[in-house]
Amino acid sequence: MPAGHGLRSRTRDSFSRPFRKKGTIALTTYLRTYRIGDYVDIKVNGAVHKGMPHKFYHGRTGRVWNVTKRAIGVEVNKQVGNRIIRKRIHVRVEHVMPSRCTEEFRLRKIKNDELKAEAKAKGEKISTKRQPEGPKPGFMVEGATLETVTPIPYDVVNDLKGGY
Amino acid sequence: MVQTLREKFEPAWLTLALQGTNAISSSAKRGHWFLHLRYWRRMRDDFGRFAALSENRYSHIWESFTAMAFVKAQKSKAYFKRYQVKFKRRRQGKTDYRARIRLINQDKNKYNTPKYRFVVRFTNKDIIAQVTSASIAGDIVLAAAYAHELPRYGLEVGLTNYAAAYCTGLLLARRVLKRLEMDEEYEGNVEATGEDYSVEPAETRRPFRALLDVGLIRTTTGNRVFGALKGALDGGLDIPHSDKRFAGFDKDKKELDAEVHRKYVFGGHVAAYMKTLIEDEPEKYQTHFSDYIKRGIEPDGLEELYKNVHAAIRADPTFKKSEKEPPKEHKRTSAPGFWYNLKKLTYEERKAKLIARLQALNSAAGDDEDDDDE
Repeated sequence: MPAGHGLRSRTRDSFSRPFRKKGTIALTTYLRTYRIGDYVDIKVNGAVHKGMPHKFYHGRTGRVWNVTKRAIGVEVNKQVGNRIIRKRIHVRVEHVMPSRCTEEFRLRKIKNDELKAEAKAKGEKISTKRQPEGPKPGFMVEGATLETVTPIPYDVVNDLKGGY
Repeated sequence: MVQTLREKFEPAWLTLALQGTNAISSSAKRGHWFLHLRYWRRMRDDFGRFAALSENRYSHIWESFTAMAFVKAQKSKAYFKRYQVKFKRRRQGKTDYRARIRLINQDKNKYNTPKYRFVVRFTNKDIIAQVTSASIAGDIVLAAAYAHELPRYGLEVGLTNYAAAYCTGLLLARRVLKRLEMDEEYEGNVEATGEDYSVEPAETRRPFRALLDVGLIRTTTGNRVFGALKGALDGGLDIPHSDKRFAGFDKDKKELDAEVHRKYVFGGHVAAYMKTLIEDEPEKYQTHFSDYIKRGIEPDGLEELYKNVHAAIRADPTFKKSEKEPPKEHKRTSAPGFWYNLKKLTYEERKAKLIARLQALNSAAGDDEDDDDE
């Protein structure tokens, strides 16, 4: 009998709850608020059967485009054939967590604004652009001793010792 | 040792299975999987092997099938490795998470609008009523009322009965409304009749809505929680409810007898008991209601007393901090009390302690080495 390609096929492990994390769902998943435009990660919670996204979306990150009573609408990119479609799905909040993908950017924005304000106050010119890691600076090798290695002449007797 | 255990615990069919193959085959025909020969051969041959069998992670299941264990039921290392602890408050038996999730869950399209719970909890000597809203950092209490505040309003005895619960609920409701400056708009039911009263929305603002959170109590008709609920409703809060569980609800006629409920709200049931005790068992009356007698509270005066308390609550529901000083903290110096309730050390303190310990160890080792050298 063939394997079948149902909605939840091949999700035995990805939809199962992690080891020793089964049972009651922590309340913060229900207390979080989501606004339109937020980035969210979709991670299916196998304990809640309603509002589950399809297994394709497990592990995807998208933006919130709609907020309803118990679910949020997430816009996720999906490659279909030769193009990428922006798919809009509705997912219950248990299967969603706020994404940290923009966290570094947001913090950098705040820091850069502070730096720019400081520089403006002092009257200097600064660049807040990120620089890629350059080549490592040169250094002197410490504690190096020179050991000259020369080949030793071939000694027939020593080599045959093991053999004959 | 093994033999006596066997005699003590083995049910009859077990003995039979071990002794006679005939019995086994006949039971096997009937389909009892646990009487199949290969299982019992294993056990029969070697008691040690059975002991080993009982130490695997399915041993507890095996033991339940065999109706009684030969070996003492151990919680093996595997058991502890796989054990998942329940949430802390569930372990303490204090929170019903199933109910809590449903009470707290706010519609996502209402964003940060708080969803208030009218929480009522009873201890042995006190009633705690709070209006709370949930947040990730922890629940935020908007206002709280305790039965031990009722002496301020003139009620000093019977602080955990139905009438006191009504007073506490009423106090909390008036407190909340006063804090939100809605107390003029929403007077609630000033005359406490027992009938079902729901707040009508006024012109400017909608009534304050909260959801009743009973906790872990069994919601039977006439429970004191519903007394507190009635107090809050009459105080002017909007709490969705039905009259099914108020004291005085008739199961057969399926309607609330307002008279009976009013009796409970004014302590009529207590007064009736007092009267019967005075007539039948005066000594018991003296011991049971000694505090009432000390304050000169008669059974007939109870209703008047509660009416005055209600009026006093409505007059000034603001919370007054008690002038009592907090009890002196005793510094514990000797075992075992020394180890109780220790303050949690900070990260720096713990690191410093470790460094001190290592230094002490090194210096001691250094001394030992010096001694050895000498």
